[in-house]
Amino acid sequence: MTGLYIHIPFCKSKCKYCDFVSFPEYEREDIYFVALISEIRRYAPLMKDRRFGTVFIGGGTPTSLKSGRIKALMDEVRKCFDIDENAEITCEANPESATEEKLMELIEAGINRLSIGMQSASDSILKTIGRIHTRADFIKSVENARTVGFKNINADIMHGLPTQTQKDYVSALELAAELDLPHISSYSLILEEGTPLWESVSNGAMELPDADETADMEDAGFIFLNEKGYTRYEISNFSKPGFECRHNINYWDNGEYLGVGLNSHSALSLKGDWTRFRNTDNLSEYISELGEGKLPVRDTRRIEPDEEMFETIMLGLRKCSGISRAEFQKRFGADMAVLYAPAIAELELDGMIEVTEDSIYLNNRGLDFQNEALLKFMEQ
Amino acid sequence: MAFPRELIRNFSIIAHIDHGKSTLADRLMQLTKTVAERDMEEQLLDSMDIERERGITIKSTAVRMFYTAKDGNTYMLNLIDTPGHVDFTYEVSRALAACEGAVLVVDATQGIEAQTLANVYLALDNDLEIIPVINKIDLASADPENAIREIEDIIGLPAEDAPLISAKTGLNVEDVLERIVSDIPAPKGDADAPLKALIFDSLYDNYKGALSYVRIVEGTVKPGDRIRFMHSGNEFDVTEVGIFNPRWQPVKELTAGEVGYISASIKSVAETKVGDTITLADNPAKEPLHGYKQANPMVFCGIYPADGADYEALKEALDKLVLNDASISYEPETSQALGYGFRCGFLGLLHMEIAEERLEREFDLDLVTTAPSVIYRVVMLDGSVRMIDNPSNLPSPMEIQKMEEPMVMAHIMTPPEYVGSIMELCQEKRGFFIDMTYLEENRVKLTYRMPLNEIIFDFFDGLKSRSRGYASFDYELGEYEESDLVKLDFLLNGDMCDALSTIVHRDKAYAKGRAVAEKLQEVIPRQQFEIPIQAAIGGKIIARETVRAVRKDVLAKCYGGDITRKKKLLEKQKEGKKRMRQVGTVAVPSDAFMSVLRIN
Repeated sequence: MTGLYIHIPFCKSKCKYCDFVSFPEYEREDIYFVALISEIRRYAPLMKDRRFGTVFIGGGTPTSLKSGRIKALMDEVRKCFDIDENAEITCEANPESATEEKLMELIEAGINRLSIGMQSASDSILKTIGRIHTRADFIKSVENARTVGFKNINADIMHGLPTQTQKDYVSALELAAELDLPHISSYSLILEEGTPLWESVSNGAMELPDADETADMEDAGFIFLNEKGYTRYEISNFSKPGFECRHNINYWDNGEYLGVGLNSHSALSLKGDWTRFRNTDNLSEYISELGEGKLPVRDTRRIEPDEEMFETIMLGLRKCSGISRAEFQKRFGADMAVLYAPAIAELELDGMIEVTEDSIYLNNRGLDFQNEALLKFMEQ
Repeated sequence: MAFPRELIRNFSIIAHIDHGKSTLADRLMQLTKTVAERDMEEQLLDSMDIERERGITIKSTAVRMFYTAKDGNTYMLNLIDTPGHVDFTYEVSRALAACEGAVLVVDATQGIEAQTLANVYLALDNDLEIIPVINKIDLASADPENAIREIEDIIGLPAEDAPLISAKTGLNVEDVLERIVSDIPAPKGDADAPLKALIFDSLYDNYKGALSYVRIVEGTVKPGDRIRFMHSGNEFDVTEVGIFNPRWQPVKELTAGEVGYISASIKSVAETKVGDTITLADNPAKEPLHGYKQANPMVFCGIYPADGADYEALKEALDKLVLNDASISYEPETSQALGYGFRCGFLGLLHMEIAEERLEREFDLDLVTTAPSVIYRVVMLDGSVRMIDNPSNLPSPMEIQKMEEPMVMAHIMTPPEYVGSIMELCQEKRGFFIDMTYLEENRVKLTYRMPLNEIIFDFFDGLKSRSRGYASFDYELGEYEESDLVKLDFLLNGDMCDALSTIVHRDKAYAKGRAVAEKLQEVIPRQQFEIPIQAAIGGKIIARETVRAVRKDVLAKCYGGDITRKKKLLEKQKEGKKRMRQVGTVAVPSDAFMSVLRIN
């Protein structure tokens, strides 16, 4: 089945570490949705043979939109695409805008998974990184979600933030665990060039925990999550059994997905060719091209089988269960263990990889050094 | 018909970097209509990229101009442009020897600099008539009186009537032409005497081969002549002679007093050495012109391709570079850490930097350079002597009776307020104080005898930073002197890295060892295991640092469907890995070898 990603580029305020395509230009919300709906309609005939097993509405802050917007969007999606009846449909939310009313609308729109941008449980850290919610807002948003009927709830939590200690980080995990959230995404901060945080760190105004401190946080956090019954199923993702995010697993399986909205990315098998493309990241171009009836597509690339194979490995080895040898054989007509025997042998020697009859996966040490492991596959 | 010799003027321009030499040359060419204005590129004489960027002249060039003076005569002016750096003192001296006069350009806002002074002395040694010119008088901060006083006090030249000009705006530049015509004597020399042509530079051209840039001192040369290089003994048949217009322009002959080039299908500039005398094979001069010196490299370093696969490309590039610069020496060497490369010799540090830059830029190479070294004189126990330009080749201390290092006489010019900290610097660099004189109220000349190996590292940078850029220095090579030298080695995870070994004075070994170890600790990326970095003299460890093991190397988030970032990051890591050198178990980035050179 195919995944559908829908990008909402609007945010009330930009977080200091964020380099996603998002901005507070709500005066263009209406026209953006005219364009977005017309994009979805343009894809309808092209996607008529595909069934979508997952939908993910990301941003930006989808919960900050005008009321009725998400409902209308999902109605259109269902009209244009074949959405599986058991589809996982996720919407991102930020605590400050996840009101009961807003979340009710999501439920009515058929959304069954909520991903909340918690990031930290410390009000001072939240403020430092430019978040506009508090710990209390987050707790309230989870209550609201439960009230309207959400069961599948994720919290995004970061470590390696300015001034953050190991205790700060673990206490954020503790809060998520206390609230019994079935899914936690725990990312370490990536300092992206050009962001305000990057500026502050570059000019010395702010200091980040060093690599060792961040690694310590991560290790302590993972131990804690394990104790609380969360299973790590991907480098940065933890869940209670049965609550793994299917939309993301499809990415890591190098499966097909269609992205709509500003700067969304797609990977589709078109006439047998594995193809990647993205939409423009320029809002004006996006609107005007769709206005002219054109798809605002950029960087269309046919991925050669060699590259497709490497991408499959790069993504698949993010999962703790690794890559299914049978699936690999089916897709590429070769046994991964044979094809990559030299790289795998080196990684076995380094104590990073495990090969079983069914699958090839990185163990904990391998996951810690995933880049090194991938370079071995790349260089072979 | 030969141009009347009494109407020829051969001159050069002496100026400090940035004092406006090239700009003045441009103006002179414009005024004499040598270059049509529309063809005029800024600073035409400095035609190499690097020269333009650094604002300095590396090679000598020449240009012929015709000027109709106020006396009604039309003169032939040959301007010989000289290199402007201490590394090229010998080349400067030969270029000056080809002239009868020199225009001394002094910046009205800065006064005389040390570099200028050195070249003025060279000009005086060659009995040149010197015409002082005060430039940049259009600037608000110009102080022409001070500049004039400096010329009179420091050099002892009357400068009362020096033209006050602005080369930039063209103001009073015509006066300079008039003074050249009136003050500089016409060349002497007999057009019918046996040929004596002084080579003041040479240049390689893909079509013509190596060209000799010459001043005809006696006699005449024309195509078809068989010529002989008096020092090398090589003989060639002249295919073309010409002048600089400023591009090459063939002429029928060159005769005594003239400046031009000789082309004779010569394969390499190594065969037409600066300072050599060209004569005719069938009617040779009795003796060559005096002043010829073999230019010897003084600073050596290993040059390696950053990517080992580029060895052949580096070899070809060096072959080509040397076609144009015979003062560079190179021979293959191997390093355990860096693989196959070359030991290269240069006239000085700037010369080395320029050569590296040209290799990287003109030949598109990525290079790894080892620490520069001078040539040490090692006296063995059995009395035999070895000259060592590569620390790795230093014999065991057990076999050595004594070691000697080359000394220089360094002359430093500085405003008095920086004397204290400059003396401190010279002391740190093992300098022996020789002399301090006040050249004038605002200018002190310090003279130190110093080891060359202290100067080739960061002396110049230190001098600049301690004097806020005001001090400058020259040096001349002195004798070898016995010195307590040791070889300082570095071990990475227990394996010695030959490319990092240096020879230092024992008193400085500890500080240097610590500093390099600290620097290595910064530049060697963390790897999956802990890496001890040790500095050692002989077997004795004198400093230790540790690169801690890396804990994680993974991209936390794979952004939605955008996998391009992740792939770019991996590509970057892969590229970075390609630029790593394996020293035993440790991967060392290529630039680590260079960054340890820059230690303060």
